[in-house]
Amino acid sequence: MFAFWTILVASLTAVTCALLGCYLVLRKMAMVSDAISHSILPGILVAFFITGSRDSTAMLIGAGFLGLLTTIIIEFLHRKGNLQSDAAIGVTFTALFALGVILVSAFAEQIDLDTDCVLYGEIAYTPLDVWLLGGTTNMGPKAVWTMTILLLMVLLFIYLGYKELLLTSFDSAFASAIGLRTMLWHYLLVGAVSMTTVAAFESVGAILVVALLICPAATAYLLSSRLPVMLGLATCFGVFLAISGYYLAVWIDGSIAGAMSTMAGVLFVVALGVSKVIKSNS
Amino acid sequence: MITQIAQPIVEVHDLTVSYHRKPVLWGVDLTLPQGALVGVMGPNGAGKSTLIKAIMGLLPLQSGFVKLFDQDLNQVRSRVSYVPQRESVDWDFPVSVFDVVLMGRYGKLGLFQRPRQSDKEIALDSLRKVGMEGFQNRQISQLSGGQQQRVFLARALAQKADLYFMDEPFTGVDAATENAIVELLREIKEQGKTVIVVHHDLQTAKEYFDWIVFLNLHLVASGKTEDVFTAELLHETYGGKLSVLSELATLLRKNEYPSRE
Repeated sequence: MFAFWTILVASLTAVTCALLGCYLVLRKMAMVSDAISHSILPGILVAFFITGSRDSTAMLIGAGFLGLLTTIIIEFLHRKGNLQSDAAIGVTFTALFALGVILVSAFAEQIDLDTDCVLYGEIAYTPLDVWLLGGTTNMGPKAVWTMTILLLMVLLFIYLGYKELLLTSFDSAFASAIGLRTMLWHYLLVGAVSMTTVAAFESVGAILVVALLICPAATAYLLSSRLPVMLGLATCFGVFLAISGYYLAVWIDGSIAGAMSTMAGVLFVVALGVSKVIKSNS
Repeated sequence: MITQIAQPIVEVHDLTVSYHRKPVLWGVDLTLPQGALVGVMGPNGAGKSTLIKAIMGLLPLQSGFVKLFDQDLNQVRSRVSYVPQRESVDWDFPVSVFDVVLMGRYGKLGLFQRPRQSDKEIALDSLRKVGMEGFQNRQISQLSGGQQQRVFLARALAQKADLYFMDEPFTGVDAATENAIVELLREIKEQGKTVIVVHHDLQTAKEYFDWIVFLNLHLVASGKTEDVFTAELLHETYGGKLSVLSELATLLRKNEYPSRE
């Protein structure tokens, strides 16, 4: 049962990340996801200080807000501050992450949130944190519920906004010209990425979530010539990472999140080889 | 020599656009007639693309206003088509030729609404008009430069607009495509529609366009090609750009323009 729940949480997390990751890769925003994953740390802490609980809803909102703030600052520095976008990203997320580190270190005793957990996560503990309905009925791990709801929201977002997301990603000038609000879609996507990142926190941590966001999507990008195919492949890769990562971790008796990310890297290298072979044959 | 007309289809008044506080286009007052094939010309960095981006509301205006069909852009978006520079998008994007052309219909669809059968038929028809119907299922990365430009043009046709802005549609395309595009633009014009094209080849300008706008940070000239395409105005627009000037000399000799010495 333990293996089942762990793999389920990992799969839900990886698939949600992979779907959003496709859009990040296509919009050349891969580094923005790195920035968001770090800079939402103060958002989580502030949400914790305000509500005084580790309730995930408050943290999701806090993180979502910080994620948006991060991208707004990056846009501002890039456009008004006349700074290259990579420099703007570097300045913004390190500063916000540092703020989070100060908050964690200064108030460490009051917070049931340790740095290791934030940075590396521990998916093996998620099955233990179950949701007891009415204090008695075991509804399964909380993380399963959080990630399922988030995955459904992301699916709905992509389904309803399919053409808007496609057009703003492919040709934003044309999208603006026909009256689409490109910045709105940009911020909606960033908001979804921020919320997913924080929900994935306790399973895989702030650093490895970037691997889940980018690797399956980048791998799928190499192998597909249509967006729906890319989304589908990325989803399959996400599930594959969860299963193979779990058994790799069991086999070497190591970190599950680390094993999943390692598998993500291996999968990417294999796909790169395959796509090179396909291209040289055609 | 700036010809202003009554009842213009495009009216630009006192337009100034800046990048990082440096003005790149100064006080442009421009009116363009309906049913014309307009060439926007000028040296590199003269603000040609900036002008049409500003008209399409893609850049913040420092001053001035733009009216299309005597109305605000937001009221007439569905009648206006914009073709960005080909290099402005990633041609490795995982979409098919047909997907891109179908995007031309998005402006007619509401939020959350999927393309209807009629939209797909219009998209296919547009592909046929540019001679690309055999490529509809290709990924766009497998196209040549000329084919990419045809796809962009098909997307614009699918918009079924009355006013077209095209940013350098002839850059990096083969001769066959260039001729095909010119033919199409003329057809569009025959229907009483207006096409405004950013162009930088002086050799072909006179043949292609019946109205020319010369820009060099400010508006140098705007008027019927035969009135505007003169040695004096060419010199005023391109003056100082030596390579262009020598090109100009051959061009003028060929066309037997009166010398003004």
